[in-house]
Amino acid sequence: MTVSALPSTTVRAARTRRFDPSWLLWTAIIAVLLFLVVSPFLQLLVTSFKSDKTGAFTLANYAAAYGRDRYVQALINSLELGACSALLAGVFAVPLAWAVSRTDMPGRGLTRMLVLATFITPPYTGAVAWILLAGPNAGWLNRIFVMLTGAESGPFNIYSFPGLVVVIALYSYPYIFIFTTAALELVSSEMEDAANILGAGTWRTMRRVTLPLALPAILGGLIICFLEAIALFASPAMIAIPARFNVVTTQLFQFFGNPVRVEVAAAYAMPLLVVTVLLVVVQRLMTRRQGFVSLTGKGGDRRPIALGPWRWAVFGYAMLVATLSIFLPYLFLLQAAFAKAWGRGFGLDNLSLKNFHFVLFEHATAATSVWHSFLYGSASATVATVIAIGVAYIVHRRLIPFADAFGFLCVAPFVIPGVVLAIGFYAAYAPPPLALYGTAWILILAFTTRFLPIGYVNASAAIRSLNPEMEEAVRVLGGSRLLAVRKVVAPLLKRSLLGAWLLMFIPATRELSSAIFLYGPNTKVVAVMIFDMSDEGNFEYLAALALILQALTLPLLWIGQRALGRDFMLRRSAT
Amino acid sequence: MKRLAALAIAAALAAMLAGGPLSARADGALEEAAKKEGELTWYTTHYTSEAAEELGAMFTKLYGIKVNVVRTTAQVAYQRATQDFKAAQTIADVFSTTDMGHVMRFKAEGRLEKYVPENTDKIAEAFRNLDPDGFFQTTSAGFVVLTYNTSKVKAEDAPKKWADLLDPKWKGKVSTGHPAFSGYVGNWVLSMKLMYGWDYFEKLEKNKPQIGRSINDTVTALNAGERQVAAGADGSTLYSASRGNPLAIVYPSDGAILIIAPSAILKGTKHPNAARLFMEYLYSIEASQIDVKHFTVPMRPEVPVAAGERPVAEVKSFHPTNEQIDKGIPEVIEQWRDTFGN
Repeated sequence: MTVSALPSTTVRAARTRRFDPSWLLWTAIIAVLLFLVVSPFLQLLVTSFKSDKTGAFTLANYAAAYGRDRYVQALINSLELGACSALLAGVFAVPLAWAVSRTDMPGRGLTRMLVLATFITPPYTGAVAWILLAGPNAGWLNRIFVMLTGAESGPFNIYSFPGLVVVIALYSYPYIFIFTTAALELVSSEMEDAANILGAGTWRTMRRVTLPLALPAILGGLIICFLEAIALFASPAMIAIPARFNVVTTQLFQFFGNPVRVEVAAAYAMPLLVVTVLLVVVQRLMTRRQGFVSLTGKGGDRRPIALGPWRWAVFGYAMLVATLSIFLPYLFLLQAAFAKAWGRGFGLDNLSLKNFHFVLFEHATAATSVWHSFLYGSASATVATVIAIGVAYIVHRRLIPFADAFGFLCVAPFVIPGVVLAIGFYAAYAPPPLALYGTAWILILAFTTRFLPIGYVNASAAIRSLNPEMEEAVRVLGGSRLLAVRKVVAPLLKRSLLGAWLLMFIPATRELSSAIFLYGPNTKVVAVMIFDMSDEGNFEYLAALALILQALTLPLLWIGQRALGRDFMLRRSAT
Repeated sequence: MKRLAALAIAAALAAMLAGGPLSARADGALEEAAKKEGELTWYTTHYTSEAAEELGAMFTKLYGIKVNVVRTTAQVAYQRATQDFKAAQTIADVFSTTDMGHVMRFKAEGRLEKYVPENTDKIAEAFRNLDPDGFFQTTSAGFVVLTYNTSKVKAEDAPKKWADLLDPKWKGKVSTGHPAFSGYVGNWVLSMKLMYGWDYFEKLEKNKPQIGRSINDTVTALNAGERQVAAGADGSTLYSASRGNPLAIVYPSDGAILIIAPSAILKGTKHPNAARLFMEYLYSIEASQIDVKHFTVPMRPEVPVAAGERPVAEVKSFHPTNEQIDKGIPEVIEQWRDTFGN
């Protein structure tokens, strides 16, 4: 085959040297990148300085956005919320990470699994579960407390600042866990041995040697948690409004009410963007230092630290965290989902499958919304994978000048909170000529941009691991770049790409903060559906739908684990 | 082909005679012309999704005309229609909202087609002649009333008038929605302010109400036992009660707040006759029966109201004027935030 094919391909090779058609593809990918990343961001910036009426340059939007105490207070609330949530998440995550990666604590695999379960629980699902648990009068924890003590009322109140902090911390601590375990697994036992030899005990060693080595990673994780907390929309909407305070995201949502003031929203979003960019830069600098540590430590071997009887105490702590984030919430979500009326409690006479039947078959849009989420999620994960692999390839093979800039564009959306990204997309693509508002496209494009950084980081790591020789072999035999990518690079990276795809697809199916501003009447996604149900008073239906979403994710996790190994989500999200 | 052209001219003529409603004498003709158009699109924020779909399906069953039901919340429907206008395309033929301000603004901008349904004189008195110029009509209604959890509060202890919510015995036991999120709540807050002054809310704040978003959050709060009394909607509360939840309503002696939700035909509609026929249909016995099934107030007085509700004519009610609503609701939202902090 090769022999007969050779003459014609050499001829073509000669021609392609003058005009390589793969250039078209590279150009297209770059154009798409400009469209997805640069244009919405520029639109956001321009809109914030533009008068709604005349289109002229103005600072009035900033005056409107920050001229009121209440709006400024919302920003301060967000920053406090972010700081408190991140610190509490650290308290949950760091001991767990240390125990799982460095010690002989029993149930390490179980703990990892539970962290993964927490990781794939959408924050809004967690928030609803905690409303069931810690509503000031009707929450289960309070009811049980009243039953046991005979007191007038229970001590827990989810509708408060601390309540919101706990709920956010419980569902964002996996980020810190991921970063910290990744760092701790690289710390060599030799260093700890040295400390031991010099007379330090286990705890002292941990405090003085192990943790300081992992500190940059821990701080990096804290920053991610902070950013996650200030960008969240649903949990504050469900909890902060009854608790009588606003945060940036709920305030932004109000600018989208009647009359819609996109330009004020854009102006209001700018400080959030600045804070995020600064912190991400700090985070990158820190984790870069951590890379240095890992280099020095990589040679040594790693043995688990024997904790003796303490290992049960540590295990107890891990289970306590899991109880708060998984066991209790899911127990009561299940109760609500299978109940005729959740307030009536556990009992055979209160059991029913009606809620599942209702959301799947009777509700006009619930089942469709699940379908939409999976459709848009897979479309955007696919587009993002193609872009990510394309750009990663360009960057690593240095196919065009300034390739690094395009790599940067791929990770840049990471610093844009979902709500802000949505406003950018709204400003850029909702009006004519594209008039994408209300179509599926605006959601698919926004999701693509939002999750592109995950895809790029993974694709980039994968391509770095490929020796260019194999592609060069194709080129020497007269194949084009495109052929090399298609026949060599893509097949070799099949697993990595599947992993990257899943890592984008799974969060895309539950994305709320950008969807809430961009969905139209016919493009409702399941996250929006769940959010809407939260104020329709039907926690039973809501719980059923949330559990359906979780159940549909399980086969995907299974595929991912088969293809990429256990806890691929936890390991690979760390990159 | 000729017939079609003739029809198109007739339709165009009818559209031009916007002032003169298409007569019901021509009911047969309207129906014929509507059937030729074959379909219409209905942006609606009335009702639940199920009720909206059912109303659309009934229209299709009666006339064989397809209804694209686009049911969302009021703000989204408004944004959507505004986007359509900006893009110079009219997608919706009939626009129904729970926010009077939306149709008022559209009317002022010349976005609406004037049409007074022939069936107007058949609906309950209170709902007629919503817009003296005939650009929009009442097509749905409900009340904000006092609601309570019957397993925690005895009927004789339940609040009887709005001021009863201010009684210190309800401290930590009152539930409300948020005027910035819910049109019903906005109307209620405005009405309380008009009736009793803002002082009412300064006092209510002392009772530490739990504030949700939608007016239906009060149903959740009462059902769960989180709160015991509320300013809630009659329809959603009674619907929940019909499913076995321990809820009841009280029509306040100083007046239930009547919420009027309008519909209008959008200018530039591609299905003017279907849209008109649909407006007529919303005033039909069939539509009213579906309303009742979903616990909304029927437009037609001869259709009995849902169990637990009172006929509109027998309810002492209060209703702000259109102008008060248009101007007043944005104001009370600001005041609300000052008083309650959210």
